[in-house]
Amino acid sequence: MTIAPVPAEQAPLLARPYYAGESPSPIAATLAHVPELLDVAMPFIGAALGESSVPARLKEIAILRASVLLECHYCVQTHTVVALDEGLSDSEVRALREDGPSEDAFDKERERALVAWVDALARGRGAIEDALQARMASCFSEAEIVELTVVTTATMMLNRYCTALGLPVNPATITRLRAEGLA
Amino acid sequence: MSTAKLISEGRLGDRLWFYTNYHCNLRCSYCLTESAPGVPRRELDAERIRTMAAEGAELGFQSFGITGGEPFLRDDLVAIVAELAALRPTLILSNATIFNTRRLRELQALEGLPVSVQISLDRPDPDKNDQMRGPGNFRKVVEAIPRLIERGIGVRVATTLDDPDVADPQEMERLCELHRSLGVPDCDHVVRPVIRRGRAIGNEIGRDVVFEDFEPELTITADGAFATPFGPTIVGGRLDTDLLVTRTTSPLDVPASALMRAAGAASDGQDARIGIR
Repeated sequence: MTIAPVPAEQAPLLARPYYAGESPSPIAATLAHVPELLDVAMPFIGAALGESSVPARLKEIAILRASVLLECHYCVQTHTVVALDEGLSDSEVRALREDGPSEDAFDKERERALVAWVDALARGRGAIEDALQARMASCFSEAEIVELTVVTTATMMLNRYCTALGLPVNPATITRLRAEGLA
Repeated sequence: MSTAKLISEGRLGDRLWFYTNYHCNLRCSYCLTESAPGVPRRELDAERIRTMAAEGAELGFQSFGITGGEPFLRDDLVAIVAELAALRPTLILSNATIFNTRRLRELQALEGLPVSVQISLDRPDPDKNDQMRGPGNFRKVVEAIPRLIERGIGVRVATTLDDPDVADPQEMERLCELHRSLGVPDCDHVVRPVIRRGRAIGNEIGRDVVFEDFEPELTITADGAFATPFGPTIVGGRLDTDLLVTRTTSPLDVPASALMRAAGAASDGQDARIGIR
């Protein structure tokens, strides 16, 4: 099953701002079927995944890693490009995507701790081990831990949403990934 | 800002509309909803109508409107109207072609309640009228109007024309003489253009409109809440969503407040309403 995006000429009133200018993302264009959800979800997604006090590089590490672990084709493809644009190297992206060496891919302890944190959130069930919590606390402030956890768990929600609804990857993204050897 | 205040200030229409159903015994050439016999009924559950009407009265809506489809095809329509009219004056849009002896008898349940029926009558001549609305329509309408008035039901006549601006004045005068003779005064006669939505698109008739052309009137359907009763139209069997407000209909303040946000965003610098009612 795939859910067809709402075309521009059928965009409900509350969805119209998302159709102004460029075409809306497949996430917005499918959420437009339920405009009151779009109306709150997109600002939340923007706040959680977009620019904030936490560096975009850290956010993209969390987003790409969670998307890989939840096997969301749409999100992995899309955020591989975003991660490259945020300065992650080819080897870092490949490590997160599990198609390259993962050991020592990241120099900084806080980035290695973040990957472990995302792995625990996306793979695990129940409480997170005390040792990992302590490791995160030694690398990040409480506010940063909250935000990175929201980034990761919001991504997990979107991973399942995009996969379940069969959202299509933007052709421009595929072209870029081919050029990078990461398609 | 509360819904009641928005209504009192005229920023939100004071009538709460319900699409009770989409099926109809007619197949009019300009029907917004492609209504006809056998189409999906999209019926609004009676209990939901009652609940939302009570919420609407609480929120400050001053009257209710019922439309379709042909609402009187529902067996429970009169019972629903009786409950709504006990809360607020209620207007029903009907083609008035199915008021047989049984249905007229059922209408006695509405005696003394503030109920009106708005009936479509487009031309003063049977042949021209029936071209748009189907064979026998004119005769049935002309017979039904006095019978409804006799039973204490208020009657309004709605005339829908492809372009009212170029209507033949003599023909319009004969139409007005006709509705007056049937007991409907001029103040209860509305003339409006065909809206190019629904079946009018395929027939290439009517006026193109945008959201800003309409007074915001909260309209509840089985598919969600819309910004105007001209919104939940059907084209090729598919529901239009361009005037959809929310899928949520209850609690009613969810679509009411969403509609006002949408109207506020759209009305900046806009004053293009063409007074379609």
